[in-house]
Amino acid sequence: MQVFLQTIVGGVSLGAVYALVALGFSLVYRTMGLVNFAHGNVVTVGAYLASTFYLSTKLPFALAMVVAIVVTGAIGLVIERVLRPLENKDFDLMLIGTIGFGIVLDALIIMIWGATGRAVPSPVQTAPIDLFGLRIRTYDLVVLAIAALATVLLVLFLSRTKRGAAMQAVAMDHEAATAVGIHVGRSNAIAFMIGAGLAALAGGLVGPLLYVSPALGGALGIKGFAAAILGGFGSIPGAILGGLAIGILDSFTAGHFQGYSELVTFLVFTVIIMVRPTGIFGERTVNRA
Amino acid sequence: MRTKLLVGAALAVVAWFLPYGLDSYAIHVVNVILIFAILAVGLGLVMGIAGQVNLSQVAFFGVGAYATAILTTHAGLGFWVSGLLAIAATVLIGIVIGTPALRVQSHYLGIVTLGLALAFTNWVTNAEVAGGAEGISGIPSPELPGVDLSSEYLYYYLELIVFAVALAFGLFVVRTALGRRMRAMRDDALAAGALGAEVPMLRMTAFMLASVYGGLAGVLYAGLIRYVAPESFNIANMFLLLAMVIIGGRQSLIGCVVGAISLALVREMLVDHPTIAQLAYGSVVVLVVVFAPTGLAGLPRRARAYLDHRRGARGTAAQLGAFQPYEPAASASGDELLAVQGVSKQFRGLKALDDVSLTVAAGEIRGIVGPNGSGKTTLFNVISGLYKPTRGRVVFRGTDMTGRAPYRLARAGMARTFQNLRLFGDLTVEENLLVALDRSRTLSAWRYLLRPLNVLRRDRALRRSATDVLHRYGLTQFASLAPKSLPYGIQRRVEIARAVAADPALLLLDEPAAGLNGEEVRQLAEIVRSIRDSGRTVIIIEHNMGLVMSLCEQITVLAGGRVIAEGTPSHVAGHPAVIEAYLGDTGEFEGATR
Repeated sequence: MQVFLQTIVGGVSLGAVYALVALGFSLVYRTMGLVNFAHGNVVTVGAYLASTFYLSTKLPFALAMVVAIVVTGAIGLVIERVLRPLENKDFDLMLIGTIGFGIVLDALIIMIWGATGRAVPSPVQTAPIDLFGLRIRTYDLVVLAIAALATVLLVLFLSRTKRGAAMQAVAMDHEAATAVGIHVGRSNAIAFMIGAGLAALAGGLVGPLLYVSPALGGALGIKGFAAAILGGFGSIPGAILGGLAIGILDSFTAGHFQGYSELVTFLVFTVIIMVRPTGIFGERTVNRA
Repeated sequence: MRTKLLVGAALAVVAWFLPYGLDSYAIHVVNVILIFAILAVGLGLVMGIAGQVNLSQVAFFGVGAYATAILTTHAGLGFWVSGLLAIAATVLIGIVIGTPALRVQSHYLGIVTLGLALAFTNWVTNAEVAGGAEGISGIPSPELPGVDLSSEYLYYYLELIVFAVALAFGLFVVRTALGRRMRAMRDDALAAGALGAEVPMLRMTAFMLASVYGGLAGVLYAGLIRYVAPESFNIANMFLLLAMVIIGGRQSLIGCVVGAISLALVREMLVDHPTIAQLAYGSVVVLVVVFAPTGLAGLPRRARAYLDHRRGARGTAAQLGAFQPYEPAASASGDELLAVQGVSKQFRGLKALDDVSLTVAAGEIRGIVGPNGSGKTTLFNVISGLYKPTRGRVVFRGTDMTGRAPYRLARAGMARTFQNLRLFGDLTVEENLLVALDRSRTLSAWRYLLRPLNVLRRDRALRRSATDVLHRYGLTQFASLAPKSLPYGIQRRVEIARAVAADPALLLLDEPAAGLNGEEVRQLAEIVRSIRDSGRTVIIIEHNMGLVMSLCEQITVLAGGRVIAEGTPSHVAGHPAVIEAYLGDTGEFEGATR
């Protein structure tokens, strides 16, 4: 029982990161029906930016994170602007376009930061908390708190602001939204920007948990996507639950299957998609694209 | 045609003499490029032709190479036997990876196939039998009496022959019935299914084809490099392969080959700066999808269109011909052809159909009318198998067909048109008809391997029938045009011609007169009557009352998802419930129907 609980605790902080990645995917998907295949690479860019500012310019961790979020947000805007002519026309081409951006970002990362990775020290130095015999790292709690805060802010933005309501309208029917005077392109751009910002947040937070390397985003991206689908693509509570579920699944497969954990995770994920393509909180979004 | 043959022959001669001008390093590069070209043709078939997003092509490649390596080094089998077994293994894996395509498409399929490709690299990196991260070395080179295939110069000829055969077979598939059906499915899976294309089977066939090409390339790779390791089959190479296909033009196999060769050459030139090469091809992919979605292969046509545009339109516009009526045939009229029994269809809270029953006799023209939102199209979708009814049965030709897949209903003798026209956009008008005319099963695709001449002969017969249909509907001059370029009225006519070309016993027409002018409506009435006289039964949904009243013998009126009246045009027109449904307020109408 102790081991079982400890495994769950070990998966939760990574799960929160997956949830943030999943939120980015979901936000873009629900607004424009597109899966951004460059999302994982944006996570890597965010992780490198945050760690660079944190390590070399000695900015406080929080400030380094903000800088990373702003820069990646700008990258998100560029991606959306370039692919805008294809929006609501050819989803397969857009998907390939985002893969193209992923290839470019991957090359840029290697050019700027090199092919080898770096370890990022944890910004929180206190000793792990001991709770009923479970060891909980304090940084894990920080990750959970920030992820929760980001989710609350996102939900408030979508439900309480005019801009957020406009984005919801575009998500439901982009033609009707145009008819009532909403600038669909701008709405998509904001979705992309926030999505990229969330990716940077996830990347920045995951730096001290994992090793920051060019391959980081690929793994995080595909697991974040799996989380988004598991929860029901486009659904915000689904993304959170899916993220935590994948994190815990990860933690268990790593314990039981060692090197094959990735294989097992992907096979489980494939089976879930085949059995229930709409996920746990799924809307009828499967045929949208 | 002749110039194409000449160019092909010239290229063949150049390819044959190429090794004489190359040093030993260059021939190695060329050998690797040929392998990529085979992979690209496979990816082009599954992605460009069949429209299935497949990011596992590199895993197929890996399975082929690894299986060859394992069978030759661990099991001690000969190269050729191992190669054959490796291709069989790849096809099995192809079936596994293609299975998700039965449930999900587009983005979902992309991510699933990507995940499975990652799972493959994860497995080979860890499995002992695959040599772990070090891979497997010491693969024997293939042996052929009298030919030393360990020489890369001679190996080139082996690859060249395999490549030529693989490309020719791919082109053969694309230009005949199977490829046409796949392209139809790519453009509109729903309409293809409604015309009898077995969509699930076609998707699996596409993945199997791609896996054969992947396996072939893998076997050749193992024989060439004689060493396999996980990093040759990683995601970066998958994306490189994808870039080759996109830049070359995914819908053209020749384009895929050109893309593979040019990108591989560029990569070779930048071999000391791999990140710059990656940056370059990534950017080109983005530019291509935005500005030239058909890739390099589409450039000549775009250039020609541009030049024509600059010179101004030339020649005369194509003319719609007159419809030539069908020979009247004695039909077994009076027998019950279709029976809808107590069908209800619920969409969450909305009840679109509520206990609808109707029977249609053979040889009838039945009209279905009703206000907007009364459930007419939902009823069509239930009859043709697109929706599964919540309750009730659909009996067609005496068999219970409730909930059968659309393609099964189509094969049983049902065809339909759609309210918002669903023509295959990237096929010509003639090809649209050919897809409908081809009634063969996808399973009979084994003929492509064993009886290719038979396939060609059948295709020629199909083309002859298509010419007849084109002539009958006055569409001859539009045969080679894309449907999207035609006026709306002509597109409607093409869709009807296509539905009838599928030789249905029952034809469902969903608002065929919408958007037509007066003369076109008159022609439509003539066409529908002639179709009926040729021994078919027609059900027609229409808002144009003049047309319905003059054309139909029996009319069913729907309102609020229920049948409120049924009978001859004059009976229905005078029915109080109908008048109220169209004019009166709902309170009175509720009372009148009960």
